[in-house]
Amino acid sequence: MRWLAAPALILATGAAAMTPALGDPDTNPALQSAARARQNWILTCQGCHRADATGTPQTTPTMAGFVAKFLQVPGGREYLARVPGVATAALPDAELAEVLNWSLVRFDPANIPAGFQPYTAAEVGRLRQTPLRTEAAVLRASLVARFNADQHK
Amino acid sequence: MSGLDKFSEKMTRRVARATSRRSLLTLIGGALTGAAVIPVLPVSRAQAQGHGGGGGADPIAPQTTGNPQDPGDQTKCDYWRYCAIDGFLCSCCGGSASTCPPGTEMSPITWIGTCMNPADNRAYIISYNDCCGRSACGRCSCNRNEGDRPMVRPQANNDINWCLGTASAIYNCSTAVILGVALEQK
Repeated sequence: MRWLAAPALILATGAAAMTPALGDPDTNPALQSAARARQNWILTCQGCHRADATGTPQTTPTMAGFVAKFLQVPGGREYLARVPGVATAALPDAELAEVLNWSLVRFDPANIPAGFQPYTAAEVGRLRQTPLRTEAAVLRASLVARFNADQHK
Repeated sequence: MSGLDKFSEKMTRRVARATSRRSLLTLIGGALTGAAVIPVLPVSRAQAQGHGGGGGADPIAPQTTGNPQDPGDQTKCDYWRYCAIDGFLCSCCGGSASTCPPGTEMSPITWIGTCMNPADNRAYIISYNDCCGRSACGRCSCNRNEGDRPMVRPQANNDINWCLGTASAIYNCSTAVILGVALEQK
């Protein structure tokens, strides 16, 4: 039961700490099934991002305590759905949106901006039509520079 | 030439006089039975006991967990957790199905899939962690590839070296670690 209890607890605390947009995972269509989202994370993301989303500096940037910062700058929301690992993941749109929302709540609840609206299947389906390739690193660097500059204001 | 003719005629007639047709049948029958016995000699049996698919005559003792929920021999390629493995089985290399041999480091970067457990017919999530840092083990090569995808999907391709995030990128052998039970398919 421990593996089920952990994400439920995290979802519960995450939901309590932030906007009601990602509130109750049972009623919110963006998070139909936290268990399914967690399994899709394990099967399609965790192999490279690691179980705690800390990644590997040379190959896989860290997500833990970091990934939701992209939502704070213009273009960041689109970027998260267009990075190669997300856009080309072998998941249908609805499950991809679900695991994307889940990973934000699971690994970086503190940086989710107020008023954040969860990704929908339609939005993710549209964004993944134009996946980023080699330009991903350049775009990422400019977004990171943007929200680092915002933080130091 | 006539001497040879006479000699062979003499010998043939002598054999024909001294033996019966029934004794020839006895001889042929004995030869047939004897030939059938050759494959069950112990020499042949020892050679047939190969391990790990391509293991040949390498003698490796079976390793079972003793748990009825985890059936099979972990040194054999047909062990249920190895359904998508490609490499040398760590069970034959000084490690086990979920631990690395001494002197090697387990890669934290893995490829992950599911295998059906024959004991309960449920899918389990399996992580194929490579063990790295010593030269290739070379025992119990096993290549099953269920769910393996081509190189254009590197996250689901098992032909690439998964010794990533480790001090050394040298591949030694592969493990199959259970991460959990997969959700029931609707």
